[in-house]
Amino acid sequence: MVSLRAGGVYTKAQLQKELETLATCGMFEKVDLEAKTNPDGTIGLTVSFTESTWEEADHFRCINVGLMQQSKAVDVEDNMTEKEKVDYMRSQERDYRRRMDRARPCMLPRSVHSEIVQILGQGNVSARMLQNIRDRVQKWYHDEGYACAQVVNFGNLNTNEVVCEVVEGDITRVVIQFQDKLGNVCEGNTQIGVVRRELPKQLQKGNVFNIEAGKQALRNINSLSLFSNIEVNPRPDEKNEGGIIVEIKLKELEQKSAEVSTEWSIVPGRGGRPTLASIQPGGTVSFEHRNIKGLNRSLLGSVTTSNFLNPQDDLAFKLEYVHPYLDGVSNSRNRTLRTSVFNSRKLSPVFTGGPGVDEVPPIWVDRAGVKTNITENFTRQSKFTYGIVMEEIITRDESSHISSNGQRVLPSGGISADGPPTTLSGTGIDRMVFAQANITRDNTKFVNGAIVGERNVFQLDQGLGIGSKFPIFNRHQLTMTRFIQLKEVEEGAGKPPPPVLVLHGHYGGCVGDLPSYDAFTLGGPYSVRGYNMGEIGAARNILELAAEIRIPVRSTHVYAFVEHGNDLGSSKDVKGNPTEVYRRMGQGSSYGVGAKLGLVRAEYAIDHNSGTGALFFRFGERF
Amino acid sequence: MNTAVFMASQLIREWSGIQQFPPATQDKLLELLGRLKEKKRNKLTILVMGKGGVGKSSTVNSIIGERAVTVSAFQSEAPRPTMVSRERSGFTLNIIDTPGIVEGGYVNDQAIDVIKRFLLNKTIDVLLYVDRLDAYRVDTLDGQVVKAISSIFGQEIWHRAILVLTHAQVSPPDSLTYDEFLSKRSEALLKVVHLGARFNKQDIQNISIPVGLVENSGRCNKNGKDEKILPNGTAWIPTIVETITKVALTESKSILVDQRLIDGPNPNDRGKLFIPLILAFQYFFVLKPIQRWIKRDVEKEVKPQWA
Repeated sequence: MVSLRAGGVYTKAQLQKELETLATCGMFEKVDLEAKTNPDGTIGLTVSFTESTWEEADHFRCINVGLMQQSKAVDVEDNMTEKEKVDYMRSQERDYRRRMDRARPCMLPRSVHSEIVQILGQGNVSARMLQNIRDRVQKWYHDEGYACAQVVNFGNLNTNEVVCEVVEGDITRVVIQFQDKLGNVCEGNTQIGVVRRELPKQLQKGNVFNIEAGKQALRNINSLSLFSNIEVNPRPDEKNEGGIIVEIKLKELEQKSAEVSTEWSIVPGRGGRPTLASIQPGGTVSFEHRNIKGLNRSLLGSVTTSNFLNPQDDLAFKLEYVHPYLDGVSNSRNRTLRTSVFNSRKLSPVFTGGPGVDEVPPIWVDRAGVKTNITENFTRQSKFTYGIVMEEIITRDESSHISSNGQRVLPSGGISADGPPTTLSGTGIDRMVFAQANITRDNTKFVNGAIVGERNVFQLDQGLGIGSKFPIFNRHQLTMTRFIQLKEVEEGAGKPPPPVLVLHGHYGGCVGDLPSYDAFTLGGPYSVRGYNMGEIGAARNILELAAEIRIPVRSTHVYAFVEHGNDLGSSKDVKGNPTEVYRRMGQGSSYGVGAKLGLVRAEYAIDHNSGTGALFFRFGERF
Repeated sequence: MNTAVFMASQLIREWSGIQQFPPATQDKLLELLGRLKEKKRNKLTILVMGKGGVGKSSTVNSIIGERAVTVSAFQSEAPRPTMVSRERSGFTLNIIDTPGIVEGGYVNDQAIDVIKRFLLNKTIDVLLYVDRLDAYRVDTLDGQVVKAISSIFGQEIWHRAILVLTHAQVSPPDSLTYDEFLSKRSEALLKVVHLGARFNKQDIQNISIPVGLVENSGRCNKNGKDEKILPNGTAWIPTIVETITKVALTESKSILVDQRLIDGPNPNDRGKLFIPLILAFQYFFVLKPIQRWIKRDVEKEVKPQWA
């Protein structure tokens, strides 16, 4: 309460002001300031006071006096008569009651209320007790995140109901400000609505400022990826007593950018030993034009090759336009339109051999086309996407000639080109238009770094009868993954993650026209581990099951897994039966163990069909 | 295409082999041919199939009456099917001899492919499924042979099939008479056919596959009229031709081996009609519920007071 400090130099006016403040703060009956001159010329100051006390009270009320004028301290002038004094007191009390009625109730919950009533029950209301109450009330507000709340006054003190006046920190204005690199205020490119919709409800005019809401606003705005620096700061509103102005300061990122990245991929080589897929690096060149029209629309282009030094071998490009806030910036519905032109070239796992069949002439599937879809984000993780794809698919052999049938190695050793047909039209070139939909319900979260929860994905491709041979098909996949936490653990930084059991199932089926490049394949790092992609077979309907148990070990985890893939007898329902032609089993299981080392998973998987095992290094997550 | 043109230009040889049959046999054969011509049938195509080494080629030679197909006791037969055609007074007889479709304990897919390709655009009137009478056991291999035959032609082929048992001049084991042995053996084989061709109870009642007996060896016994006879006294050549004629004249249709039959039912077409139903099911019972659950997740999410 005393602002004077030892060692400070004060003027007489300052000392007088200090005395006045102490006298008028209402906590003290009497304040005396005694100065004693010391031999060394300094002054020793003694502040003696008599604490104000009031009658015992058993009721407590808390009111929010934010945005109201401060109540003036009760002052009894000396030259009033006794009657005038009483009248004055009464009118003060009336004024105060009116003030109380005008004020808003405060947010304090029942529990804190009763706590304070208990404090009051300890005896006469003293200044010290009021301090206690003030600290308790402020603690509640600050713990809940209302960092700008303050107790400004206590009223009604000589009655049996103590009134506590709180300024909670009501927001009077939210200001969004753009700054340039040097911190000067400037015009922003981003439309204000884009930022406003990311603010939580609590951070609006009329609500009480909460620091957690401020932090959430920061996170939300950050996820737009439009700004290099974001600040959310409350400051007192000078024009409105007790009001808070929330200032959001934003530094925008560069709108245009270009990037080149290279990578080498590590794959299992001879004997399962990890080797570089190739000495030549692959990589991507990309450019981005972001935040078009200030509405977070973007145009992205990228060209990817697996061999920078000879790019025509394998070149994929993609040009994409992303248009968020499809229903309008002010509409809370979060739908984004994406249109892209793409092409890609992949080795077809349908035309690969089973174990022991090494020389299966490979087939490359080139896809080029346009797709457009709308994604509705329900939460950060769950979403629903629907759209249309129009593409041309060309199947080629190793020498890039268009190939309409797979090749077969005859028992005589020769090669015959009458293997299973590669396309629906039988010519090696298919064109088709189909509709696509995907709904993902993802309730996973991280518990000390381990992923826990469940994820379900349903995907549908519906042929519309437009294209080569008028394809009509309904291709559907349902994937369900459960990450089951096996032990309750305390959540917190540095605490160990729980052991997790992962159960995973994937069913795929197709009714109608099924070209072989769209057949489901079994085997591979995301299908059945321990087998090459497509090594188990290609079929019309498949079922994959996997279970994995993860045990935390020191700062990482080790795991054991078992997986199974089955064609449900539908291999023969793919035209030409490529599973049988290339002597694959149609079903297979595998099991193994592994450990997560940083970003890499090292695992040893045994292929149950051939009984051999191999060591693999993989990036990313299996599920 | 080429094969057909070739056949058209090739003169079908005269069935001279009939001449070498004994007169009694010749008369019966000509009578049967007459019966066929009466019913306006001047062409008959017979397909002979079965495991290897059971006597298919020998049977063909016996019926034709000459060494039309090469037979060697210990060598494996020719890898491709051969069609033997003979003409007699306006009637054409085609018999197609095929390689055994079993190799190394498994059904030989390649042999089946070769047979399918050979039979493209031919119409099969009668199937002779050949096995030996003088064997005692049946096993899964027999079932697989039957399955393979059914997979090529469909189950309908068995309406026009004859179970032909070769080496019919056999001494049955001591405890059985010839007829008892024959009945047991044919019963066992017919059971395999019913199983492999997936006959249900209805089919077993309606479709009766006749049994034919054949003895191709030169040491076959002969009766007074010099006809080759079996231990039960019947002259087997006219008997088998009579059975063939009966089957040829049954009501069921002959099997035309077209590309569609060879390719099998198109799996792409199966269920296509149901796609709108499936789509509706997916929309109402998968997409919409998942959307609802997501919305519920959003509502139930524990949100702090300030959110």
